[in-house]
Amino acid sequence: MYKDLLIRFILGGAAVMVSYLITVISPWKILAGIFAAFPAVMITAVLMVGIASGSKNAAKIANGSVFGMIGGVVCVATVWTVLQVRGNWTLSIVLGLLFWLGSSIIVSSFRDKLKNGRRNILRPNVLIRHK
Amino acid sequence: MGDLSISALLIRFILGGAAVVVSTLVARNLGEKAGGIFAAFPAVYLAALLTVGLDFSGDELVAHSILLSKGAIVGMGINIMVAILAGYLLPRQGWKRGLLQAMGFWLVVSMAVVMITTYS
Repeated sequence: MYKDLLIRFILGGAAVMVSYLITVISPWKILAGIFAAFPAVMITAVLMVGIASGSKNAAKIANGSVFGMIGGVVCVATVWTVLQVRGNWTLSIVLGLLFWLGSSIIVSSFRDKLKNGRRNILRPNVLIRHK
Repeated sequence: MGDLSISALLIRFILGGAAVVVSTLVARNLGEKAGGIFAAFPAVYLAALLTVGLDFSGDELVAHSILLSKGAIVGMGINIMVAILAGYLLPRQGWKRGLLQAMGFWLVVSMAVVMITTYS
């Protein structure tokens, strides 16, 4: 568990540090933002599950992370929009967090429904096979 | 922001790392559903955005935050493609090779976006 946290700390810290470094020394300012969105959490999760339980389960983590990333897109889009429209930095972060939470809850509920739907489709097939 | 200092780099490394670790620990203590939501908390982006506030204020802060967010929204779009690709590659190539190829794809697409947005 500590190894997992250590890798997350290093990847997350390095991403923010590189993002800053690019802002200062590089002419490619958009790259700083790309690094600020570096998928440190997804990489670590895939890495740790890959080590512990193999490639198939690691692939499930990667697929599952797509749903979580939608909330991230909503968060950044909200911050960007509020900054453009109102020019209020603090408000943009507060609204970004609120919209992230709201959209993540919606996406999570949708994902649960999708999973339950799949289970209900698969169950009759299993029963037919047993007959 | 022209000057680069070791302390500024260190502060960002610690803040970024701490943000990811704290969001992970919160996610683990919240139970399956809420934990699953917090596992995808955009900690790196928010840490980067907050540290912009260390160097700028007023209109400059807003302008730099817009620039960072513009890149981050592109980055998150690339991340979604990377995650889908990783989900496809991992069972076929093995997790080590699959993850490495997915990260290679992240780097190539990121650099392509940089080239297109800078030189077109």
